[in-house]
Amino acid sequence: MTERDRGNRYVIPALVLLSFVTIYPVFYVFYLSLQRRLLIFDISRFAGFGNYLFLLSDERFWNALKNTAYFTSLSVSLELLLGLLIALLLNRPFRFRGGIRAVVLIPWAIPTVVSAKMWEWIYNTDFGVLNYLIGSKINWLGSPFWAMNAAVFMDVWKTTPFVAILLMAGLQVIPQDLYQAARVDGAGSWFVFRRITLPLLRPVILVVLIFRTLDAFRVFDAVYVLTGGGPANTTETLSIYAYKVLFQTLQFGYGSTLSVVVFLCTGAISVFYIKLLSRGMRQRDRNVPPIDRGDIPVPPAREIQVKQ
Amino acid sequence: MLFREILDRFEREHPGIKVKDETLPASTDEQHQFYVINLEGKSADFDLLSMDVIWVPEFARAGWLRDLSHLLPEDERKGFFPGPMDAVTYQEKIYAIPWYVDAGLLYYRKDLLKKYGFIPPETWQELVRIARHVSEREAGVYGFIWQGKQYEGLICNVLEYFWGNGGNILKDGRSVINSPENAEALTFMRALITEYRVTPPLVTTAIEEPTRHIFGNGRAVFMRNWPYAWNIFEREGSPVRGKVGVSPLPAFPGKDSASTLGGWQLGINRYSKHTEAAEKLIKFLTSPEVQKKLALTIGYKPSRRSLYQDAELIREQPFIANLHDVFMRAKPRPVSPYYMMISQVIQPEFSAAISGIKTPEEALDSAHRQIGFILEVEK
Repeated sequence: MTERDRGNRYVIPALVLLSFVTIYPVFYVFYLSLQRRLLIFDISRFAGFGNYLFLLSDERFWNALKNTAYFTSLSVSLELLLGLLIALLLNRPFRFRGGIRAVVLIPWAIPTVVSAKMWEWIYNTDFGVLNYLIGSKINWLGSPFWAMNAAVFMDVWKTTPFVAILLMAGLQVIPQDLYQAARVDGAGSWFVFRRITLPLLRPVILVVLIFRTLDAFRVFDAVYVLTGGGPANTTETLSIYAYKVLFQTLQFGYGSTLSVVVFLCTGAISVFYIKLLSRGMRQRDRNVPPIDRGDIPVPPAREIQVKQ
Repeated sequence: MLFREILDRFEREHPGIKVKDETLPASTDEQHQFYVINLEGKSADFDLLSMDVIWVPEFARAGWLRDLSHLLPEDERKGFFPGPMDAVTYQEKIYAIPWYVDAGLLYYRKDLLKKYGFIPPETWQELVRIARHVSEREAGVYGFIWQGKQYEGLICNVLEYFWGNGGNILKDGRSVINSPENAEALTFMRALITEYRVTPPLVTTAIEEPTRHIFGNGRAVFMRNWPYAWNIFEREGSPVRGKVGVSPLPAFPGKDSASTLGGWQLGINRYSKHTEAAEKLIKFLTSPEVQKKLALTIGYKPSRRSLYQDAELIREQPFIANLHDVFMRAKPRPVSPYYMMISQVIQPEFSAAISGIKTPEEALDSAHRQIGFILEVEK
């Protein structure tokens, strides 16, 4: 038996287990999505692509998709921006750095349901601290305009620490001598950030984006606890819609159709990111160290002279 | 607890039977989910169950309830209000016994109406006129408040306008929700907020209690709510004590007023192993004596009509005499095993219409398509 054969044999148990807990359910959900099925009334019949046809004309589905896309794009971009800012700050040496790093993580450490309940009270029109602080009477969770943005804000508060921590880990593996070399060459801090930090952080940023986009696209607990999908379904995401159809009204067929669509969307998002990621990896392998490619142009000799 | 005392009495009268009672979560949606999960799993852990008026056809269709037709002989059925009897009847069999009744009412400020020389309105248009007149002259007083949040209570509110304009949601098992009558009724509800300005926009997120608080603090002329609010208004120290009147809800001109039926029914779990004892307990709990006791102590409104002429009950709770006519006219929400699914899809549509996100016609058309898809499963 070759080394390779033995290796294959060792992964078989893991593959069997994986196919049992992931592949089988995926196919079963797809099979269910082709049925009209109401368990409690013992109704179960094959409907072909009937559920999918209805889905195409289902305004509520398109509305949920729109809400999900809005939530995902806004929350992920804000989290990336703020997370990057926090990571850069926390990566600098200063007093109490360890303590501050731990404090930043607190929102991430609180269970989502608990923080959603907490924010529900913060947003409360009459007794909420937010209206108290800004002296307004805004019905944050009741108005169609504010409700979704309020949910995004809560998610940004909660997940930015996670983004910051991952990016901080990425920052720490960037070799310090690159920065030293750049400083010797007289590069400004914006230039250093653009040409050294950002390109070398790219793989980590992509990993963060994969995690966050997929999580945000499947968002359920945060929004469900905060608004339940209201008012008038303006905060209903795809997962909430699927949950309501599947578990509140027990329509297993159409509910599965919705789940399959969520699955396909997240699949497409991951493929897109993985393509980006592998391209980035290849590029980086080609360019290490980036200075060789002349990423940091040598400043004009005159300037150096002035400095000397 | 008072309810336990009643069960103790049953145990004394029926030696050998022990009754255990369990309290479910306060939210009716969670109670529904509890029953669905346990009954679908053929649980025999409970023998009797208390059901919201909208669940009986669904549970009966799923085969979870014991047929109780033999407990109510034909002549005894007439002693109950017709609405609840409708709600517990599925394919001509009776699957639960109405236990206590609820229905939408119009609360009004007797003192304010008298001050400006009005009598309680019989049509919605009169209500708008009075509400405008009074609220323009009384600082900090809203005209008319009701429950408009996206939840089951919104359907109860909307149906009262549909019925009061000759509309409905289902007819002969098919959706008729996108009728012109319904569109007109829904347009009127939106106009209460935007055009007539008698209803503050806050109702679009309000459930029963917030509206009860506003009215109870003397800050509204009219309110739509359930009978429970009355006892709270009449408590000592209440700012509106002695100033509140109730009447049936208004209707549109030339149409009949109707209010949405609520209330709870008792049924027996199909998988129960103690059916004989369970039947005895149902008979006991729905008997006139116990219903009267529950009305006097907890304030549950009896499902038996005769109790509304009971001298002692009227002496203790004079308010109850007003309710007989309202309960006679109360209608159940669509009696269909699919009601819970239908409710799920129409709640957001109604909410979108009254908060102005969709036009009433768009909302009703969308609801019509979705109800059609749900009912298609039977074909």
